[in-house]
Amino acid sequence: MSYLLSILILLPIISGILIYLIPKRASLWVCIAAQIFQLGVSVYLMSLVKEGAIYFNIGRWIPPVGISLYADTLSMSFVMLSSFLFMMFVIFNSSRHYVDRMFYMLYLSLQGMIAGIFLMDDLFSIFIIVEVSTIVVSLLIMYKRDSRSMYDGLIYLLINVFSMTFYLFGIVVLYKITGTFSLRLNAEIVKQMTDARVLYFPYALIITSVSLKAALMPLFSWLPKAHGTPSAPSVVSAVLSGLYVKGGVYLFFRITNAFSVIDTTQFFFVSGVITAFIGLILALSQTDIKLILSYSTVSQLGIIMLALNLGDSEAVYGGFYHMVSHALFKAALFLCAGIIIEKYETRNINEIRGVFRTMPLVSIACIGAILAVTGAPFFNGATSKYMISHSTNSIFTEALLIFLNFGTVLYFVKFASIFPGKRREGISKVPINREIVLVVLGAFCLAGGIFGTQLIKILYGVDVSIEIGEYFKKSLIYFGTLGASLLLFRLKVLHNKFFDRLRTFDATFNTIALSLPLFFAAVLAYLIIS
Amino acid sequence: MGIINNFNIGEIAAIIIFFIGVYGIIARRNIVKSVISIGIMETAIILYFVSSNKGYEKAPIAADTVNSAHIADPMPQALMITAIVIGVGITAIALTMFINLYHKYGTTNWKKARNLRDKEL
Repeated sequence: MSYLLSILILLPIISGILIYLIPKRASLWVCIAAQIFQLGVSVYLMSLVKEGAIYFNIGRWIPPVGISLYADTLSMSFVMLSSFLFMMFVIFNSSRHYVDRMFYMLYLSLQGMIAGIFLMDDLFSIFIIVEVSTIVVSLLIMYKRDSRSMYDGLIYLLINVFSMTFYLFGIVVLYKITGTFSLRLNAEIVKQMTDARVLYFPYALIITSVSLKAALMPLFSWLPKAHGTPSAPSVVSAVLSGLYVKGGVYLFFRITNAFSVIDTTQFFFVSGVITAFIGLILALSQTDIKLILSYSTVSQLGIIMLALNLGDSEAVYGGFYHMVSHALFKAALFLCAGIIIEKYETRNINEIRGVFRTMPLVSIACIGAILAVTGAPFFNGATSKYMISHSTNSIFTEALLIFLNFGTVLYFVKFASIFPGKRREGISKVPINREIVLVVLGAFCLAGGIFGTQLIKILYGVDVSIEIGEYFKKSLIYFGTLGASLLLFRLKVLHNKFFDRLRTFDATFNTIALSLPLFFAAVLAYLIIS
Repeated sequence: MGIINNFNIGEIAAIIIFFIGVYGIIARRNIVKSVISIGIMETAIILYFVSSNKGYEKAPIAADTVNSAHIADPMPQALMITAIVIGVGITAIALTMFINLYHKYGTTNWKKARNLRDKEL
């Protein structure tokens, strides 16, 4: 049954092309039918991989010559998540005016390529898929064709292509050493190598490029431009922030695992912490709803990186679960922000008031997602953050996580200031399909918290126990930080010159590009010195 | 040995050309020159791949693991064709986007385009 793996990649692309060809009336139903089929296949394959990882050699050529697809519980959990979210987004978008057949084609191709990033075992195929998906994403970002998104799309495209040339160079140098592109075979060959130093140069090239995809400090400047560009459709922002950027983190995990002889956990732990801090400070300074959410993504990615490099298996699974949780709540938040921006016709957080009275159901889903991202008890964010902080024994890391969560609560308190206030008149009703999608996503955030341990058992096959006493203690800390943040917000700490200056800062293309070779040099220097 | 894995002359040339491309991206404010620099970097990678393991004893383009002296390793040839195609696609898309941007802003300079974009806020 392993050929089904290729269906996961091909079906969305083929259905996208089909939708481009058939009449518009039928296209929505074809799209939804394909999505349901895709979800069914991924759930079925998930049940298969629980017994063991499966391979599919394309054209029956086995590696090192052929290309193979590889699926284990980790990759399938992300494919399943991506199928579910894409189904939600298609339903959400079914009544949009700008959604034409071209949009569907690009959007569904992106779905196939995201599945490909998670399933491919071949480093060169990953290069092709990431490169093509970069083109598709930049076309989706500037789909409405105003000049700001044109600039943002061009920056996104060129920075990502620039980083992918580093990746290509890395795998080409690696091929000379190991003689294969297969990640799995590379891992085996690398293990038997006596001198790992020949791998430093290709490893540094590859990991630099992947770190840019995962938006590590200082390589994240493209992310808010791409995810937060004002005119990008909200479903595009939701896919980019919820799913696409996870592909980079996933590749990071796979590649560092394959090169197990090279130990860079300390380096990436520190850069994860710095990323989380910088993302947090920039999120605090913004007044644009979408930019707050984008910088929040940067900060959360930093936390995920920190978890993956703590060197503890529970923290690693906590990091994975945080990726799943983050996909759910950030998707919900971006969709809510899209609706709010459309109804209020502004993105400035100081001009939007009274959302709760105007759109009660949307607000409830949005508040649920905010509680989840801040790690409120009984929501999925709490479970994943519990797992990350539970695994560490050092006081320093624990204090760091509490501080990072405090910052998260603070900027979401600022975000939540849009809810209270008088009802805004003259705002049309939100379509029912969009309300349903938002409520389902909000419900999943809650279910992911209440049934957290069972879900982790299903997804990754590991047992985690949550101690009631410690969970209660963490809940108390949460309410403490919430109270402190409300107080700080009341005192108007966020209105100061430092944040105003930070908000207007905008790096040019050359500055953003400079960060990439600098990061490469830093990784290489770290590898040589350590 | 060390981190430098006895590169041959073609590979050293490729690495130098690659970093010339990197310099072009960092130091030039012209958008078209940025696109050209990416093209230079891709060419350097292709040069590296096709000149790897070139020597008097071996057929060109063979990895250490392919232990045949008389036939070339077909993998790099097939893959570099693909990489060239991808590179052409990227260049075409980037230039199309640039032309659109030029129609809106009327500049080829990254910094001026950035300033014009920030004014729109």
